[in-house]
Amino acid sequence: MLEAIFGSIIVERILLYLLVYKTGYIRGIAKLYGIPLSTLVNQLDRLENGGIIVSRPAGKIRIYSLNPRYPFIRELEALLQRAKDALQEDEQEKYYRMRTRPRRKGKV
Amino acid sequence: MTKIDWEKVTLRKFAELISGELKNNNINAVLVGGACVSIYSHNKYQSQDLDYISPDSTEKISEALKKIGFTKKGNFRHFTNEKCPFYIEFPPGPIAIGNEFPKKYNELASITLLTPTDCVKDRLAAFYHWNDEQSLEQAMLVARTQKVNLAAIKKWSENENNREKYNRFIYLLKKKK
Repeated sequence: MLEAIFGSIIVERILLYLLVYKTGYIRGIAKLYGIPLSTLVNQLDRLENGGIIVSRPAGKIRIYSLNPRYPFIRELEALLQRAKDALQEDEQEKYYRMRTRPRRKGKV
Repeated sequence: MTKIDWEKVTLRKFAELISGELKNNNINAVLVGGACVSIYSHNKYQSQDLDYISPDSTEKISEALKKIGFTKKGNFRHFTNEKCPFYIEFPPGPIAIGNEFPKKYNELASITLLTPTDCVKDRLAAFYHWNDEQSLEQAMLVARTQKVNLAAIKKWSENENNREKYNRFIYLLKKKK
């Protein structure tokens, strides 16, 4: 949907993921979309170099999020939200309705 | 350029040298980030790098810095010299402090940098967004050592929807004076 603007469907998906879930780590994002890790890492690096996303270490993984200090963050989020709202129902269900509320340790 | 002892150079002197070299090569660059805090606080906070925002190309910047022994590392616009403890970075532009785009800068010798008021806003932005207490401390250092426009900082904080954190900044600023 925004592929033509962002130049890559993977970039579109990374940004939609971070819009919806707020944070993400490499394996989690790659698994959801079925993207090869190296391809994903290249695009994450590109977005981080551009100041659009930021990352921080958390234990052995790196957590990514949209950069709240990116000068056009409000406009970018508005665009992404609009694109997400326009997705087909099956795509919304498949990618953007993962459980985000807490689950107590040990509970199935 | 005269020979520089990169190992002994102070951050302020380093910023003057690099800013001067960039200007000599017709590169527009504004110093932002922690180095502004170091300069304004007379080194009460010591930054390890110079962050410049520049519209010029990586190639042009690389060529200029190569002349004084700084080379690019990896994919980032990040330059080092093995003899120098400081490094230079060129984060992506534009210069933005929250939703504001500063148009006026300060000039100190060859350095073009954020004004003290914008430097405080820049540090507060990190505190507001990431709850980074180090950035809050840095904002206070600058606000204590330089003349800053607190009314403008308050108005900006309100536009950033962070009036409560601004109140904490003011409370600590007055308390620790």
